[in-house]
Order: sequence, then structure tokens, then C-alpha cells
Amino acid sequence: MRLPAGTRDWLPEELAAKRALEASLRGVFAHFGYREAATPSFERFDVIEAGLGKALGEESFRFTDRRGTTMALRPEMTTPIARLVSTRLRGAPMPLRLCYIAPVYRYEEPQEGRMREFTQAGVELIGNGSVEADVEIMLSALEALDAAGLPDAHIDVNHAAIVDAVLREVGLEPHEARVVKGLLGRRNLVALRAFCAAHGTPSVQVLPELALLRGGEEVLERLLRYVPHPRVDGGIARLRAILARAASISMGHRIAIDFALLRDFEYYTGLVFEAYVPELGFSLLGGGRYDGLLGNFGFQAPAVGWTVGVERLLIALERRGGIPAAEDAAAQYLVAGDDRVARALRERGARVLRALGGSEEATLLAEARVRAIPRIVVAGICIEVLDGSRCPVEEVLAAGARDGLA
Amino acid sequence: MSLTIAVPKGTLLDESRRRLANAGLRLPEDVGRRLVLDDPESGARFLLLRPSDVPTYVEFGAADCGVVGADVLWETERSVSELADLNFGYCRLVVAGPRASGFHQGRPLPTFCRVASKFVRSAESYFAERDLPVQIIPLHGSVEISPVVGLADLIVDLVATGRTLAEHDLVIVDEIAPSTARFVVNPVRFRAKYEEVTALLERLQCDV
Repeated sequence: MRLPAGTRDWLPEELAAKRALEASLRGVFAHFGYREAATPSFERFDVIEAGLGKALGEESFRFTDRRGTTMALRPEMTTPIARLVSTRLRGAPMPLRLCYIAPVYRYEEPQEGRMREFTQAGVELIGNGSVEADVEIMLSALEALDAAGLPDAHIDVNHAAIVDAVLREVGLEPHEARVVKGLLGRRNLVALRAFCAAHGTPSVQVLPELALLRGGEEVLERLLRYVPHPRVDGGIARLRAILARAASISMGHRIAIDFALLRDFEYYTGLVFEAYVPELGFSLLGGGRYDGLLGNFGFQAPAVGWTVGVERLLIALERRGGIPAAEDAAAQYLVAGDDRVARALRERGARVLRALGGSEEATLLAEARVRAIPRIVVAGICIEVLDGSRCPVEEVLAAGARDGLA
Repeated sequence: MSLTIAVPKGTLLDESRRRLANAGLRLPEDVGRRLVLDDPESGARFLLLRPSDVPTYVEFGAADCGVVGADVLWETERSVSELADLNFGYCRLVVAGPRASGFHQGRPLPTFCRVASKFVRSAESYFAERDLPVQIIPLHGSVEISPVVGLADLIVDLVATGRTLAEHDLVIVDEIAPSTARFVVNPVRFRAKYEEVTALLERLQCDV
């Protein structure tokens, strides 16, 4: 009776913690005006491939239906949302603000923070390509991490167009640029230096230094020094705007520019970012702008969004000594005998457990202690388990009608 | 914030210690049986590990960064950032066979020949790139005796001086790649401890 590799069960206490975290994320989504949408767990494989390209399509769980059509369990949510918007919401007033919290599936080696089934929560802002939209998305990511209980999480940002322009500017052919982006993204300085040495052109020799470039706005100045006339102004202006807005709400110290930050997904075209906390060796949240993705589904619209791994957030919170207390779902009353009493208590909002093993007081008290229930009710009397004090249950009901029993 | 640094026991240890000392971090000469050592002066913590475990500790973030041979990186395929070639611990990953086999003189390798190695992934990809179906025999040590006793036709192994090969009458059939010690870092810790990591990187590279 074994679980498939990379999957897990959720016991009630574990699930309560996850649900509490999801509720705080939903709260942030609502405050920013994002409405939740859901899509099927599996899609036709050609949809997944149109969104993610060949390489990541390979990571999906695939199967065929009876007609031989290849299906795939969704490996992420951005592609299904893009499909949904391009088909059924293309007439809706733009921009659209959608969010989701849903399980996704990847065929990869399971390890900490990397399961084959895991939950993604995220937002998509579709139909607006402005700097303001980038800023909104970045700030909502920071707010979500705050709400999750990680107010010291940091975010590193970059701009895919800056990197592309710089690589063109130093004279790389498109196929060379692809190789270099792979090395930059993994920050493989050794292979990058070897590439530059083999390439020989003086202009490309700055690339290893760029791969180590990280910091505040001064990074953009240094970038312009290294690469004198890159056609990168748009990207730089956006990063400046994001840093300025973040500074205006005292979040500037949590954002750094990292020139080697390149997300795995092929669809990013502009802003990209990742969030992390110092004690975990993997990133928690990632996102960016993907202005070309919806076009793959026949609907040209700019879009920007982010997604966070809910289980990864839980790991981060657990490492810090626990999840912010989930709303207590433990029973408040153990009631024997009269069904009308149990019902009356429930009607007043109490969580009531019906005693199923007779109505002897000692037995009930013992059960209440085991289950950590503070009060028992038997034969019309309510008894405090802790000190044995008792009162008629009518008094409890009358008080409950007044102040809600809690 | 100070750094936790994974250091490989074995052949790379002494030179690693010297490089770290030049960078201002003191890993004691006599470590005894201790596996976790602190340098109170710099605040650095050292983890003394089996070389093949270094990438794992770094990928998971149990260590921020570490020193490890390139051959181990190829073999473990962990996602760590390779920041610098430290240019020591030079050796070569090679395919070798018995002198009498004639493989080194161009005699074609037989299909499904048996290849013994500690470097299973590197060996597999070397032969796969050549479309040569082989049977890889994973071993954990003393690989060079396997052709002598008839366990394997070829070996894939690291060669530093070549003496061990010669002692077993083995010759190099092909060189797969040269390997040296690398400075690696966890990709997220590169960001979280940017100042510390780049300062150490710079000081490690000064010494060549």
C-alpha cells in the first residue's frame, strides 16, 4: 500500500495549516481585486506544449484517452489560464485580474520542496503591458509573502529584454545567445568563461562579470558602463520604476537586481523575479511578464503574473517554528443524551461532539480529556472539565444567545 | 551572516585548506574525527564531507558553498552554481583498457563491451554520444583491477599521474575531459549572502 513517489497525504492538522495559509493568500488576492478561476487537472498535451515549449512539456505526466489523443496533467497554471482567457474571456473588459490555488503535476525527481504533485497559488494580470502593471504584480508578491508570515522574504528581479539586448549588443548570434542564457541562468561562470575565451571577441569578455552583477539601482549604471549603448532603455526604466515604487512603501530594501536571474519557462519576455528566504536553498515564488504567451492561443494580449509553491511556503514557515495558528477546529462541547441540546448549541455556533458511548459522567469526562474538549453536557448539566464546576445547560444556551458562546 | 563551506576530504583537502587560509578562513590542520568545524575568527563553519556529497549539501542549502572536483559535479548533476575553476587537483577522466586489447591503437570497441566505473553517468553519456551500446558495471573502488581479473573490457576512471594504470598494464584509450577543483555555491545563497560569497570568490581566485 505505497503512495506514488513524489505525492503525499495531508493529515487533518497538516491540512488545517495549509488551508490557513491558502486563506491568507486568498485574502491578499481579494485585496488586489483578483478573482479566482479554476481549470481541469488535465489538458490536451498540445495546449501544454503550446504554452511551455518542448523542454518543459517533457516534464509533464502524459496519458492517452481512448481515441489516442495525448493528454497531460497540467505542470503549471499559467498556460491553462492563458488558454481559458484566449478562448472564453477574450471579450471581457481588460485588464483581467485572475488568481488560482490549485494542484499541479511534474515528472521530476522528488526531493525537499519538489514534489510530483504540489500546490501553486498565483495571480495573472492580463491585457495591460504598462510599468504600473509590473509594479502591481511585484508588490502583490511582496504582500502575499508578508501575509504568509515571511515579512523578511527578499525578491530579486531582472528583465529578459535587457539580457537579450545585451547579448545582441556584444555581438552574439541567436544560437550563441541561447547557450549563454543557459549558462547565465545557472550562473555557471566556469563554462561561461570557457565560452568567452573560445569566442574570442573582446566585447563578449564582459559576460562573466555581468553574471556576478547584483544589487540596487547602481547595478543598472554599471550595466550601462559595461555595455555602452544597449537598446535596453525600456527594461531599465521598468526596473527603476519598480525599485522607486517599492521604496515609496518601504519595501525597497527587499528587492535587488540580479542580472543572471532567468526563469526556466520560455514564455517570459520582460520583467522576471524570484523570492527567497535566507534559510532555504530554493526559491519560493517566481514570476514575470509573458507578452507572447496568449498569442500562442490566438489572442494577442500582454500579461504578467507570479506563482508561489504553497508547500514550499509551509516548509519555510515550519523551519521557523510553525505555521501561524490555524483557526481552532477542535470541539468545544461533548454532549450526551439529549439531541435537542446538541442541536441548540450548534445553532449558536458551537462545535459539538455527540458522545456515542453512553452517558456516565466519569466516562464522558475521560473522553473529553483525551480529546481536549473543555466542557461536557449530560442530563441537562454543563460541566467544566478543568475544574468540575457545573451549571444548568439552559444558562449556557441563554448566554450563548447573548454573546455567541465563543 | 557568515558562510557554511563544504570541504571535500581526501586529495583536495590540503590544497583547499591552503586556499581558504589565503582567503582569511582558517580550517585547522589537525581535524581529528570532527566533521563540523568552526573558525571563531571569521565565523565560517566548515563541513568535512565525502567529495561526492559536497554538491548535495550545497544544493539543499545545508552548506552555502563548497569546493569540489568537476568530475563529481558531472557525476552528481546537482543544481549548484559553478563560480570558479580553482585550478588545482588536476586530473583527467579517461577511458582505459588493457595494453594487449589494442583499443588504444584504434582497434574498434566491441558492441556491448563491459565498462567498469565509479563514474556511471559520465561513462553512460560518453558511450551514448558515440551510439555505442555498452554494459556499464558500477563499482565503488579499485576499478583498475577489473580488466585484469576479467570483470570488464574497459574502465572509465580518473587519472592523475597515470601510475596506477601502468601498474595494471592499462593504457588510455580516450580522454573524456580534464577535471579540476571548482568553487560552487547554492543559487539562492548566492543572493542571500551575496557580499560574503562574492568576497570569498574574489579572494579564492586571487591565488593562482
